[in-house]
Amino acid sequence: MKKTLAALAGAVTALSLALTGCSGSAAQPSPTATEIVPRQISWLLSRPADGSVISIVKKLADEYAAKHPGFSLNLITTPDRPSYLQKLQTLAAANQLPELFDTDATPFTQKLVKQGKLVDVQKMLTDLGLYDKYRPLALAYQRFDDGGLYMVPFEFELEFFWYNKALFQKAGVSVPKTLDDIVSLCKPLRDSGVIPISVDGQDGWPLLRYMSYQPFRVAGPDYIDKLKKGEAKMGDEVGSKAVQWMANLGSNKCFQDGFSSQGYTDARDLFTSGKSAMYQIGTWELASLTSKDLPASVRDNVDFFTLPTVDGAVTADNEYTVVSGIGMAVSQQTYDPLMKDFLKFVLDNYSERLAASGHLTPMKGYEPTIPDGSSELYKRALAEVNNLGEKIAFPWDTKLDPTTNTLMQQELTLLVQGDSTPESFEQKIDASIAENAPKFFG
Amino acid sequence: MLPGRSRASVLVFLVPPLLLYLVAVALPIVQSLVLSFFSWDGVTDLQAVGFANYVKMFTADPIFWRAFANTMVYLAVCLFFQLGVSLFVANLVSYAGRGKEVAKTLYLLPAIISTVAIAFLFQRIYSYEPPGLINQILSTVGLGDLARPWLSEVNTVLVAVSAPEGWRFTGLYMLILYAAILAVPKELEEAARLDGASTWQVFAHVRFPYIRPVWVTTMIMASTYSLRGFDIPYLLTNGGPGQASELLTTYMFKTAFRSTDFGYASTIAVFIVIECIIAVGLILLVLKRGTDNS
Repeated sequence: MKKTLAALAGAVTALSLALTGCSGSAAQPSPTATEIVPRQISWLLSRPADGSVISIVKKLADEYAAKHPGFSLNLITTPDRPSYLQKLQTLAAANQLPELFDTDATPFTQKLVKQGKLVDVQKMLTDLGLYDKYRPLALAYQRFDDGGLYMVPFEFELEFFWYNKALFQKAGVSVPKTLDDIVSLCKPLRDSGVIPISVDGQDGWPLLRYMSYQPFRVAGPDYIDKLKKGEAKMGDEVGSKAVQWMANLGSNKCFQDGFSSQGYTDARDLFTSGKSAMYQIGTWELASLTSKDLPASVRDNVDFFTLPTVDGAVTADNEYTVVSGIGMAVSQQTYDPLMKDFLKFVLDNYSERLAASGHLTPMKGYEPTIPDGSSELYKRALAEVNNLGEKIAFPWDTKLDPTTNTLMQQELTLLVQGDSTPESFEQKIDASIAENAPKFFG
Repeated sequence: MLPGRSRASVLVFLVPPLLLYLVAVALPIVQSLVLSFFSWDGVTDLQAVGFANYVKMFTADPIFWRAFANTMVYLAVCLFFQLGVSLFVANLVSYAGRGKEVAKTLYLLPAIISTVAIAFLFQRIYSYEPPGLINQILSTVGLGDLARPWLSEVNTVLVAVSAPEGWRFTGLYMLILYAAILAVPKELEEAARLDGASTWQVFAHVRFPYIRPVWVTTMIMASTYSLRGFDIPYLLTNGGPGQASELLTTYMFKTAFRSTDFGYASTIAVFIVIECIIAVGLILLVLKRGTDNS
């Protein structure tokens, strides 16, 4: 019996060793090679499968493959962000990152950079002669605090507050000039029978956007960099002003009842069906906000305003949240002449095609083609890009350490629902930053 | 002692599944146990931290205890459906005449629907804006004041996310219990009835003692499945609002894949394994006592 057990234990050990032995990276290019050797490469994405980025890149990869037999691009997309991040972290832990993968400039990505796993994109784009072609704001969104650039942007979107002119008129209110005005709009809008603002509460990040507005106006874009390291406190003047504003949005019933269990499309549908008067989202939703299929009462009345200001604001009216989407990182381990050549081909041609599909581009100098039959609003919204200031309001979810990020999203829901107090919110966030920030920013 | 040839055939048949079990179940548990003594973000090197993760879990993590308490409520709701309602329905079906087969199939149906579909279904059922099934019924019968966003209120969300899981497998356990009821000798029940026993008395003194071992087995299955419940709460509310529907499993998932703290997540995983073992132990103890008494 003992012998059998020993044999069993041996077999298990051998099997587990065999399994770990199999986990070495597949095709390892030699760093000194200069020749382009076509092979299959993979890009792990977190983007909509039928979106512009994937369809354009797919076409470009096919064209490249036609000239380079043996080359193919395997696109693996997981649009659901939490599932995607789980996949990415598992692969990173197993040292199995593919040639290309999507990621934001998060503290986790910074760890990968410190491990030397990512190609320095600033250097790469300079090498390829493309660096100066990019909009500085598109690159700024992808940068880490220290200015390091390790991701390539594939989008450029402006975030606005969309509103329904007819519903505003019915309630007798006008476009808010300050953030506090938004709060005071809520009661008249509610009284007129509409939801003041529809928000996707299920995902957490939209509420976190609201949280970032007051500090961006009052203290500028650097505030979050101080807060995340514990150099500024949520309980300080700037922080508590933002917390109180969020609580006021809740107590004035600005968001739809039950928002915390409503998702992305629920929030959008409330606005596009004329049930809510305001909706905060980026220009990536332009097509659905100006669609011919919308009821005329909504389509003819949709308009937008940019982030309102505050008294004594340190950022200009034309500075607000601008994003260049989740970026694409390039694995250092597999970066070879083929990768370099392929990326040059894709990036050289990408922006032109993206503009042709009616989107703003991360590179300068491409005018988006306005889709046939779309309303005048489409053009007007995109034209705002020519009026942009120099600073951008960074989404906090890419800045905070992951534990505090999750906690802040959870606690914001409670705060806005009135299930928690501003004091308790501030105290919990400050405690979480004190405990978790050193692990990422120490 | 088995003769030589039989021993060989036993080994041939048992070793492959045993190996599979060791690699797929035992090994990860041991790995989690080892990892729970380290701090690891998945990228940088492992750092040994001794019992620090356990100390933090038991003494300095209010979210962990909140999740534990929520898990107990989740368990209670699931057991109510899977042991109580299913037993009741199994009895009803055993008395039913025509339509028995249809009823059984309909009850079993939710167990074969995909979890994601069930989560979407209940998201609509609980919806407040636009009103879902529950809120519509409430306003139709004049109880509109009770209508609420069931998944957004901290007081209702936990039961709301537990009920679909309980409901889902009610049919499955009903079928198991129904099969057990069929095995109860009819003569015993008839004799009891001739002696003047009511339906309740027949159930309490004849049927139930007879099917008790099966009921305990379903209890073990239902408890361990519920303690590991993850998908429906995760899909419906992701533990929210706040931590109102956070279970140990969803908290473990977030700790591992959002906070990238694999060491601490493993500590929670070890706790879940121990919790399941204790639950099964307690149930078996109750069964043994019951058997001794009878």
